[in-house]
Amino acid sequence: MSRLVLVRREQVLRGGQPLAFGIGLMVALVVGVFLLLGSGHDPLRIYERMFEASMGSPKAWSVTLNRAVPLGLAGLAVAVAGSMGLWNIGAEGQIMAGAMGAAWVARVGGDWPALMLIAAMLGAAIVGGALLALGPAVARAHIGVNEIITTLMLNEVAIRLLQWLIHGWWKDPESQNFPLASMLADNAKLPTLFERAHVGVVLAALMIAIFGVAASRTAWGYELRVAGSAGATARYAGISLERKILTVLVLSGGVAGFAGGIELSGNSDRITENLSNGFGFAGIIVAALALMRPSGVAAVAVLFGAVQIGGQSIQTLGVSSSVSTVLQALILFGAIAAGVLSRYKVELDVADAQPLRPTRRESDTTP
Amino acid sequence: MRNELTSTDTLGQPFAVELQGIWKRFPGVVANAGADLRVSAGTVHAVLGENGAGKSTLMNILAGVYRPDAGQLRIDGEIHHFRTPADALAAGIGMVHQEFRLIPSFTVADNVVLGAAERIVRRSSIESAVGELAERFGIATEPDRMVWQLSMGERQRVEILKALWRDAQILVLDEPTAVLTPGEADELAAVLRHMANDGRAVIFISHKLQEVTSFCDEATVLRGGKTVAASLSVESTDATELAGLMVGSSPAISERPPPGQVGEELLAVHKLRCMDDRGLPALDGIELTVRSGEIVGIAGVAGNGQRELAQVIAGLRSVESGTVCLTGEDRTFASPRQRFSAGLGYIPEDRLGVGLAPRLNVIDNAILRTYRDHCRGPFLDAESATAHCQDLVDRFRIQTGPLFHSIAGLSGGNLQRLLVGRELRGHPSVVVAAQPTRGLDVQGVKAIQDLLVAERDVGAAVLLISEDLDELLTLSDRLLVMHAGRIVAEFEPTTAERRTIGEAMAGHLDGACVIPEVVGP
Repeated sequence: MSRLVLVRREQVLRGGQPLAFGIGLMVALVVGVFLLLGSGHDPLRIYERMFEASMGSPKAWSVTLNRAVPLGLAGLAVAVAGSMGLWNIGAEGQIMAGAMGAAWVARVGGDWPALMLIAAMLGAAIVGGALLALGPAVARAHIGVNEIITTLMLNEVAIRLLQWLIHGWWKDPESQNFPLASMLADNAKLPTLFERAHVGVVLAALMIAIFGVAASRTAWGYELRVAGSAGATARYAGISLERKILTVLVLSGGVAGFAGGIELSGNSDRITENLSNGFGFAGIIVAALALMRPSGVAAVAVLFGAVQIGGQSIQTLGVSSSVSTVLQALILFGAIAAGVLSRYKVELDVADAQPLRPTRRESDTTP
Repeated sequence: MRNELTSTDTLGQPFAVELQGIWKRFPGVVANAGADLRVSAGTVHAVLGENGAGKSTLMNILAGVYRPDAGQLRIDGEIHHFRTPADALAAGIGMVHQEFRLIPSFTVADNVVLGAAERIVRRSSIESAVGELAERFGIATEPDRMVWQLSMGERQRVEILKALWRDAQILVLDEPTAVLTPGEADELAAVLRHMANDGRAVIFISHKLQEVTSFCDEATVLRGGKTVAASLSVESTDATELAGLMVGSSPAISERPPPGQVGEELLAVHKLRCMDDRGLPALDGIELTVRSGEIVGIAGVAGNGQRELAQVIAGLRSVESGTVCLTGEDRTFASPRQRFSAGLGYIPEDRLGVGLAPRLNVIDNAILRTYRDHCRGPFLDAESATAHCQDLVDRFRIQTGPLFHSIAGLSGGNLQRLLVGRELRGHPSVVVAAQPTRGLDVQGVKAIQDLLVAERDVGAAVLLISEDLDELLTLSDRLLVMHAGRIVAEFEPTTAERRTIGEAMAGHLDGACVIPEVVGP
């Protein structure tokens, strides 16, 4: 009798993660077939529609890319912290904080020239997100408070703060007493790139590229790797662990805030409670699938954007948009399970084929 | 389910453990090449061998961590195929690994019963049950203490209790004394004897002959993955013979290198005080100097401040009072990096996790101290870093795979060469080496010792902290003994008597006044 066993690889397989992601996608699509059949739909038609709506035309691509922007930036935010072994679960709130910063600048500088206003809005967005992350960063760096809990709880603070602003100070006088913020002026909106895509796509790609280069090519990135590998080694090498934790978490918040600014300026008419739309949490999945590497984040974000947009499009066929959420989750599970393959390889169990090792069953029958 | 292949011990009982013809290959290495081991119940059995002889692999096979490529495994005469450590545990095998697997924020009792408590129970009843178990085997422990508060020796006892709680009939300890002070090692020996008398089989992995001869009943010697001597009676076997079996030829008697040219004072520590991790005084007014061209050895029972002394000099532990001078300048408050630039090479006791970053590749580890020299603006120059690393690898003859692979694949000896090479490459003025040869095989020990002597000969001041008295007596030009955070005695290594040194280590010469006259240069 021989069996398949997992054998640890000497070195992690290069290109194992894209492979795992592909397998995850396949698993998700196959399981999805059964889900769709079970709810009385034609899976092929649904998948075709999803593909067309997300990648079937330049217009579809523009919508997908717009969606990939907040996903990618939130993923980058999580990945920046994750590369040092820190978990920023607060990207959702930091996106809100960033959007609030940008919205405040838009209110103050409503008559500024577009370029200046947008630059100021995005700058304020970064500061907003960074400010929300500052508390957890200081607490973690200096007194060792678990950043998972503090960043998570501040999500609630950010959303309540926004509600308070929308219900009060920022309420649009023309909203007939609905709790809505004022509309953004046209000069506060990001210019279009192509079709529906806004220039935020380029800005996000740039941001991810900068972090990618910083992480892999600079002394700063090297220090981050050392600190993430072993804190005591970092101190030995003369790297201040406290300062690294502080900068990394604040930067992470800033990146998430930047996502909020772009989402507001590029994709919305006004700031609303739904602006962050779960991007901060989806970012955790994106970063995890990208193994905390900026280069992977971009690719995963585009694919997730496509799945989300495709999922929305099939609502017109009577399918719940939850299908796309289920698919995202299935991709995650499939990819994580398949990720084992980059660290292990499947082999025939040679040991069982050896005459000296009869199987338990055979030896049981020996008198 | 007896099988005719089963052999029995002298009393006609099947062996508690019988490993036969075990083969295990890893990519690029054959760890076990037909290793055999037979252990009777009620004995303490040593598995001896140098680093890389295949001891750990064989024990991991017994504990279900690895699965053999070939060979068979019997417990009490029954063939077993362990797929997981849980299978091995169910068959009564408990393993105490070198790295403890405890949860620091749990109490001793919680750690002992973790995963093996039958239902929700009252804390006090767990604690008293664990306390009773400990008492039965003569293990000193406090079940309600948090594990993070415990010393390494105390943690090891928790690991042993974990195995006993699960009623392990076969207990495997992987180099258990490496983390213990001599006193703790004796206590461990008593506990092991207690367990053997209780009818259990104890397997004790070591490469220290002295422990084997004093703790164990039988010894099996492995070399190159094969069993070269099985179940020798320790009583009737000479230690020299065992050593010969381990290394394949009689071990070279280490010779004292000729003394170096002693020069100016390069390291001076004055009235140094500091705290340990628990906030208790660790150094209590240390005075010492090391001059160019000499090796000053620090002997002492582990836990008397040697670790803290090295850390304070390296800048990794803060000073309460006193000064540290390097090459004549006060560097008491300098950062580790400044000290390195000022000419301090530091070989820390913990190689992985302090001296080396375990998940990073060879290049990243090679430039750990000097990465700022490989920068162009904010960018790290990969070419220059690789060249530096390659130079280190060539010069110190480090056996590695591709340099961009993680150092996880390097053997202990090569890891230490990488670390020592990195620290010594720029010929530092002062070298602080803490346990630089611990856990290395004979060749590895020799290589590291030669490097330290070579540095001394080119004028470095070397402070050597070691638990190996032979090493200290061979290498040191002066030998200091630490006890309770103080230097309590100084000896001339060529004339010092071991017994007197031992008394000083035990604190019987306490009080600075009994420091014997310095035998000057």
